[in-house]
Amino acid sequence: MKCEICHKRDATTAYTHIVDDVKKTLLLCADCIPTEKKNDEEKPVGVVSAKGQTKQDVPTLIKKAKVEFAASAAESGAVAEQCASCGMTYDQFKKAGRLGCQCCYETFAAQLDRLLKRIHGANKHCGKGRIALGEMPVPTDDLNQLEQELKDAVQREDFERAAQLRDQIRSMDAGAGGRVV
Amino acid sequence: MNFSELASNAARWLSGEEDSEGMVISCRARLARNISTISFAPKATIDDQELVIDRVMSAAQRSRHMRSAAFFKMNALQANERRLLVERHLISPALAESKGQRGVLFSRDEALSIMINEEDHLRLQAILPGLQSAAAWSAVNALDDELGTALEYAHSDDWGFLTACPTNVGTGLRVSVLIHLPALVLTEDMERVTRGLTQMTFTVRGFYGEGTNSVGNLFQISNQSTLGVEEGEIVEKLTSITQQIIAHEKDAQEALLKEAPSQVEDKVWRAYGLLAHARVLSSQEFMNLLSAVRLGRSLNLIKKIDSGFMNRLMIITQPSHLQAERGGDLTAEERDMYRAELVRENFARLPTDNAGAS
Repeated sequence: MKCEICHKRDATTAYTHIVDDVKKTLLLCADCIPTEKKNDEEKPVGVVSAKGQTKQDVPTLIKKAKVEFAASAAESGAVAEQCASCGMTYDQFKKAGRLGCQCCYETFAAQLDRLLKRIHGANKHCGKGRIALGEMPVPTDDLNQLEQELKDAVQREDFERAAQLRDQIRSMDAGAGGRVV
Repeated sequence: MNFSELASNAARWLSGEEDSEGMVISCRARLARNISTISFAPKATIDDQELVIDRVMSAAQRSRHMRSAAFFKMNALQANERRLLVERHLISPALAESKGQRGVLFSRDEALSIMINEEDHLRLQAILPGLQSAAAWSAVNALDDELGTALEYAHSDDWGFLTACPTNVGTGLRVSVLIHLPALVLTEDMERVTRGLTQMTFTVRGFYGEGTNSVGNLFQISNQSTLGVEEGEIVEKLTSITQQIIAHEKDAQEALLKEAPSQVEDKVWRAYGLLAHARVLSSQEFMNLLSAVRLGRSLNLIKKIDSGFMNRLMIITQPSHLQAERGGDLTAEERDMYRAELVRENFARLPTDNAGAS
C-alpha cells in the first residue's frame, strides 16, 4: 500500500485524526506523518519538513488526500467511498478482509451485496431477528414449565420427549451451576 | 477460579457423554456479535476495546448464565496461561496471541464462554460433550437472548448480525463437532469426505479450528455459510452430516477389522501397552497412540476404557497443562517425560479387568 498523501513511498503507519467530529484513518509513510503528532499534540501545524516542503494542517491534508484518492480511484474504476464513521476505504477492506464498523456495511452496500452472494450463495438473512433492548429475561418460568413437561412426559412414558426436554433443561442450565437433572 | 484449579477442572465437554460409538468428542455452537455503536476490531482503539469489556462485563453480571463466570484479561496472563486456555478450547489461538485489551469469561463447567475483542466484540460459545449440537445451539442462543437485551448488537434487516468479517454475517453462527476418524484416514477416504462436505457448504478443520492441522485423526466439521439459512437448519444439517460420517467411519472400521483382525487388534493393544508403560511420550506420539486406543474402544476391543477418560487425558497432557500441573518451566524433554508419567499413572488406576478384557 502506497502512502495516501505522497502516493510514492510505502505506507508504514495508520494515522488517525478527528475531522469535523469524524474519525479518519490514513495509511501514511514515515515522511508524511504530520509532525505535530510526533512532537506535541497542542503545537500548531504548518511546520517545515526535512525536504523543505511546508506541511499543511492535518484536516487539509486529509481532505486533499481524500480528493486525490477519489480521483485516482475514479480513473482506475475502483471504488472511492470511505466509511464516514470509521474512515475505512474499500481498498483497505479488500486488503484486511475485515470491516471497521456497522456503517461500513451501508457505505459499501453494493459491493458487499455481491461479495455476500459469492461467499454464502445468498444475500438475505433469514434467521434470528434483532433482539429488543430491555430487561434481561428471567427464564425460570420457562424452566419450570419445561420441568413440568418433563414430569408429564415421564409419567406417560414418552421417553423420547423426556430425553429432549432433559437436554433442553440441561442446556438452559449450562453455566448456572451445573444442576443435575 | 485460579489457573492451577483450572488445569484440573472437570470441563463438562470432556465427559464422554453422547459420544456416538466413541467417535464424537464434543460439539460446539458459537455466535459472532458486535456492539453497534463501537468500532469493530480492525478500527477499535484501546479505549474502544476497554469500553467493550466494560459493557460485556456489566451485561454478564446480570445474566443468569454468566453471573458466576470466571473472567480473565489476556494482558494480565502469562503466555503459558493463555495457551492453557487454548488447550481447554476456551479461547482461540488468535486471541491468545493478540495484543490489546481482550478477555474471556466462562462458566464453572466451561460449557459456556465469551471471548471479548477477538475478531468480533463478542464470540459466545457453548461446548458440550458428544453429538448434542441442538443443545449447544439452544444454550448459546439463550445466553445471546440475555446479553442482547443489554448490548445493542449491530444488526441489519437484510443481512442479520453484522460481523467484522463478511464470512460470519447473518446468523453469526458456527456449529462444529470434534470427531475421531481413524479408519477414514487409513483408507485415504478423508479427501473424498472433505470434497463432499465442501459441496454441502461444510468444512473440515484441524484440532483447534481454523488454520490448524489434524492431530491424532481428530477433525472439526463445521458450517461455512451463515447467511440465508436459519440457525435451526444449520444445526440440523450438521447433525445429519455428522451421522452420515459416523456411519461411513463405522463401516470402514468394521471392514478393517474383518480384513485384518490380528493387525488391527495388535495396533490397538500395542498402543495401549505403550501408553501404560512408556517413559517418554511426545505430544504427537501420545495423540497417535490415543487414537489407536480410541479405535479399540469404538470397535469394542477395549471394553471399559471410556471416552471421558481419554478426553481428559488428552487435555491434561498438553504442554501448558503439564507446565501448570508441575509448576516452573519445563524443557521439551522434561515435558515428554512428565507426560509419560502422568499417562502411566492414569492407566495404572484403571481396574485390571479394563486392561485385560479383549
